[in-house]
Amino acid sequence: MQLKVKEELFDEPTCEHNIQKKEKKACKTAVPGSSTGGCALDGAYIVLSPIRDALHVVHGPINCLGNSYNQRTSESKGNETFYMYGMTSSINENDLIFGSEDKLKKGIIYAVNKFNPKGVFIYNTCVPALTGEDIGGVARELTEKLNIPVVPVQSQGFSGGKNLGNKIAGDVLFEYVIGKKEPNIDILTDYNINLIGEYNIKGELFLIKKALSDNGINLLSNITGNATMEEIMYSHKAGLNVVVCSKALVYLARKMEEKYGIPFIEESFFGLSSTNNAMLHIAESFKDAKLIEKVKKNIESKTKIIRKEIEPYKKFLTGKRVLLYTGGVKSWSLISALNDLGMKVIATGVKKSTEEDKNRIKEFDANGNIIMLDNGNPVNLIKMIKDEQADILLAGGRNQYTAIKSLIPFLDVNQERSSSYTSYEGIVHLGRQIYLELNSPVYDVIRKAN
Amino acid sequence: MENLKNIEINPLKTSSSLGAVIVFLGIKNAVVLMHGSQGCASFDKVTLTKHYRENIPVYTTALNELGAILGGSSYLKAGVKNIADKINPTFIGITSTGLSEVNGEDIHATFNELKKELKESGDYDNLSLAYVSTPDYDGNFEEGYKNAILSLLQTFCIDDKNNIRNISDYKNNDKNKDNGAKDVNNVRANVFCPFSFTAMDFLELRDLLEDFGITPVMIPDLGTSMDGHLDENGYLQTTSGGTDIEDLKKAGLNNLNIIIGSSLKSLIAPVKKITGLDTYYFSNVSGLKNTDLFFKFLEEISLRKTPERYKRQKRQLMDAYLDTHFYFLGKNIAIAEGIDILDSFSEVLSEVGANIKIGVTTSKAYENLKNRFEILTEGDIDLFGELIESDGNEIDLVISNSNAEYTAEKIGVPILKAGFPLIDRIGHNFKHYILYKGSANLVYEAANLLMSVNEKLMKEV
Repeated sequence: MQLKVKEELFDEPTCEHNIQKKEKKACKTAVPGSSTGGCALDGAYIVLSPIRDALHVVHGPINCLGNSYNQRTSESKGNETFYMYGMTSSINENDLIFGSEDKLKKGIIYAVNKFNPKGVFIYNTCVPALTGEDIGGVARELTEKLNIPVVPVQSQGFSGGKNLGNKIAGDVLFEYVIGKKEPNIDILTDYNINLIGEYNIKGELFLIKKALSDNGINLLSNITGNATMEEIMYSHKAGLNVVVCSKALVYLARKMEEKYGIPFIEESFFGLSSTNNAMLHIAESFKDAKLIEKVKKNIESKTKIIRKEIEPYKKFLTGKRVLLYTGGVKSWSLISALNDLGMKVIATGVKKSTEEDKNRIKEFDANGNIIMLDNGNPVNLIKMIKDEQADILLAGGRNQYTAIKSLIPFLDVNQERSSSYTSYEGIVHLGRQIYLELNSPVYDVIRKAN
Repeated sequence: MENLKNIEINPLKTSSSLGAVIVFLGIKNAVVLMHGSQGCASFDKVTLTKHYRENIPVYTTALNELGAILGGSSYLKAGVKNIADKINPTFIGITSTGLSEVNGEDIHATFNELKKELKESGDYDNLSLAYVSTPDYDGNFEEGYKNAILSLLQTFCIDDKNNIRNISDYKNNDKNKDNGAKDVNNVRANVFCPFSFTAMDFLELRDLLEDFGITPVMIPDLGTSMDGHLDENGYLQTTSGGTDIEDLKKAGLNNLNIIIGSSLKSLIAPVKKITGLDTYYFSNVSGLKNTDLFFKFLEEISLRKTPERYKRQKRQLMDAYLDTHFYFLGKNIAIAEGIDILDSFSEVLSEVGANIKIGVTTSKAYENLKNRFEILTEGDIDLFGELIESDGNEIDLVISNSNAEYTAEKIGVPILKAGFPLIDRIGHNFKHYILYKGSANLVYEAANLLMSVNEKLMKEV
């Protein structure tokens, strides 16, 4: 039985959260009767499924995939893209009695013959994990038979939440994919980096890539938005890993540092100052005076251009009050973006934030006024918004209806966001969207009729 | 075909627990608790939120490794108590999942224990519970939906055989009127509709029954709960609207049962048995012929004539058929949907003269539809795509849910989006596809899609 998740995954020396606690548990465990987010499968699927030329097969009953697929908003461009496909062995009662390893094998062979992918990820789920199915064995056998990497992902949901799933995904990438191929020499430049934890939501990767290439920095591999198997296989040749908005994937960066000697930095591309800082930190990591000089110059001219573009929005938004309720890294990275727009963040959600995230919040909190909101249940959120006279709630989709039903303006900043908010172009989009939402007549019209 | 593949590629199917969750969302002031890993609830909640664009009160018992192996009864009990204390709903609908069922634990026993504990504590007198077993590896969406309805009836419907007021007793024996068996102005019907009905379908059917003087108790009532309305109290942590538990308790004291939808056919016997009432079944209430039959039935049980506005709607549908039929001449339709939409949509579109070429559905229970389709099979959207692309099929219009968008787009066929999930459309709660008016809506919508393709072709020539 492969019930055990690697003990190591619960042990994260770079996570201060983890160090403080005596027992090595995943950062957060759900309580019965709660409605916290997804399980380990969800987390692993989010990280791995954007790899567009691989097949992603969920081994489990129909609900694990069938009830909710084709919903991520990562953009995927390229000839080979199976990103829109959802696949599952859909095991039934018969399979429980007679075992379903054989069905899984046959199903994968059928799909591989049909689609000719560059790799397969098999995601284990609760039921086959409990009945002791050996997906590791299936993966080994198929790797040999099909001559492509077939990767077992032990992502059964009862092992933990999304965060753990992210880590499990990082772990399988490290073990089964990264370092398995050398890149063509002509795609390498003097400054090669990988992005880790960038999923290309609404095409954000394309914006970041543009900013990088303007500075002469080569994005060797993106883990994993719009990625190919091959590009992840040769990602070990990068000179720097940049972890974007993902505490959980720091684990992968650390493993790559240990094995391949690739240093890593954690950066955010939300907002003008953050993007500028990220670019500068990347340049500094290469310790190359010429590159640093170039980046500094670029930052100067970009800053001028963007400041001019956001000016009309900033004029209106200055002093407006925001309640920010989102996960982990965004709890601080968005503060910087909102500060760029002249807005005042009155509170930020820290339910999913680490100690380090909280320290980062303090950095951006010039006056020490930002409330760290631990309990983000909807009733509490609404109360906080009213008490603190917030003008708008910036949060994930699950809080959209909490806000609008209470006639509170809202902007989705998580994966359902309607446009890309990262990099230089992103801050302009963000300013424009908040400006438009705050100027919508609809709330007043309804309030008067109510 | 499907069995040889051993894999679902872009599944059409969803699971039994999801079917049950949806039924419970049709109960008033309700919260749903899924007994399983947090992912089971989260995946469903995400899809339902995107589909309905509403807050979906679905919670999890968050069964972890320990609970999965050693038993999850304490998780279930704690989950119910936490929700009751925190949210204070009047109803909690509990479903199991693949995970909580696979080790063979007797969840029903835990449920009964829990009910006893809550009763003894005296703190939860306003709280009602129902439990339905929905192992995700067994059965499908339709079974979960049906079983949840039965669980509601079994849990709440008071067994009072002396008090039965059957509609047929009234009709056969006028003296029943004297002992109050049935007041002609107050016929009460338990109405069971399939999930394929949009919220607007539920609401229109309710209006229709009321216009015939029939008070419907819809079980579940996805019309008043999931139509998307701003509640007077703004944001709610429970459902806003839905079947009242008090009405469920008195379901056996009503006058008749009306069951609509092929997927609910097997409810006839158990619903009749539990309520003890006359039970009338309609596979669908779409298209001219079937809607006529339904109105005839309503006239008979209500002893009233069809109100003018519906007579007018019938004339409108006739005209819609005549006006649109040109666009359907020689056109081939392919439908990938659950059994109820497959049945009702193909009924309407065949009446207006389209060729119903391909049907792909979620279960094998489609025998009665075989004559209407050239190809009819159980399968996934990948198979659906293969059939559309096979030689000689030349499909002009696809009808399916959001998951078929990519397939239709790749092949280059227009798609009429209906069913579940619809996550890339808004306002589908307001679509109305049944009865006279809804059937007219359907042929207009389909004809417009066909027309736009025609126009495009003309420009290219």
